[in-house]
Amino acid sequence: MRPPLEFLMSPQMGAELIYSFVIIVCSLMVYYGTKELYELSSYKGIKYFRQAFLFFAIAYFFRSFIKFVLFYFSIREIFEFSPRVFGSLTLFIFMYFSSIAIFYLLYSLMWKKWNGNSKKVYLLHGIALIIAALSVISRNPLMHFGLNALLFLLVVFIGYNSYKSSKSKTKGHNLYAIYLLLSLFWIFNIIDILIPNFLENFKLFIYLVSSGIFLLILYKVLKKSGN
Amino acid sequence: MAKRGKLEIIRDILKIIQENHNSIKPTPLLRKSNISSIRFKEYFSELIEKEFIKEVVDKKEEKFISLTDKGFKFLEKYKTIVSFIDEFEL
Repeated sequence: MRPPLEFLMSPQMGAELIYSFVIIVCSLMVYYGTKELYELSSYKGIKYFRQAFLFFAIAYFFRSFIKFVLFYFSIREIFEFSPRVFGSLTLFIFMYFSSIAIFYLLYSLMWKKWNGNSKKVYLLHGIALIIAALSVISRNPLMHFGLNALLFLLVVFIGYNSYKSSKSKTKGHNLYAIYLLLSLFWIFNIIDILIPNFLENFKLFIYLVSSGIFLLILYKVLKKSGN
Repeated sequence: MAKRGKLEIIRDILKIIQENHNSIKPTPLLRKSNISSIRFKEYFSELIEKEFIKEVVDKKEEKFISLTDKGFKFLEKYKTIVSFIDEFEL
C-alpha cells in the first residue's frame, strides 16, 4: 500500500484522475444536456443516445475505481485484490456497462430500422451480461482480446449497415467515423484494464484521443441541443 | 406528400391551437389536424397526459383546448429537436 499523499501526487495517478474526470463530465453533460429534448419529445432515439452516455459515465467511474485500487495497492490485476469477489464484481460491473454503452449507442442508430422492437434491448442486455461474465470467468488474455475484437467487429458490422441506409451520406460519414473511433478507443480502454501492461506505451495517446472524441461529441450535442 | 412523423403531427396539432389564439374547440381541431378521428383521439389523450394541452370549460359549458406552458415550450424547441435527431441520425 502506498502513502496516500505520494500516491495522489504521482503523475500516473494525476493523469488517470484528469482523464476520468474529462470523460465522466463529458458523458454526464451529454446526458443532462439532452434531458429537456427527451422530456419534450419522448423520442426513443434520444432516449437510447443519452442512456448510452449515462452508461459510459458509470463504466468510466468503475474503470477509474479499478485503476485506483491497482495503483494504491500496487497490484497488476484486480483479481489479485483480496477478497477476490470484490475484484470480480467491480470488473463485472465495468464490463457490463462498457458493453451496454456501446450497444445503446448503436441501438440509437438502429432502433427505427429494427422496427422499434424494444425486445431487442433485452437481447443487448443479455449479450452485455455474457461478455461481462466471460471477462470475469476467463483469465486468458487471448480470450479477452478475442472477445473485444468480436465486440468491435459487431460495432463495425452494425455501424456499416446503418451507414448504408443513412439518409445523409456526408453528415452520416462524419458521425459514423466518430462512433467507430469512439468504440475502437473504448475497447482499448477495456483491454488496458483486462490485459495489464499490454498498451502501456500507448496509454497517453489513448487517453488524449479518447478525451478528444468525447469532447467533440459533447461540442456537437451542446451546439445542436441549443444549450 | 410524405407521411408525417409523430413529432410532426404533434407540432401541427399544437400549432393549430396556437394560431387560433390558444383556444379552439375539439371538432375544428380534429378537422384542421388532417388525421383520422381514431388517431386524433390517441394523440389528444397523449397530449393531455403529457400536459402539452389542457381542456378549458367556459361559462356556457363549452369545451375549448388550450396550450400549456409545456406545449409552448415544445413548439419553441421543435426545430432543435428535429435538428438534433437529424444530426445524430437517431
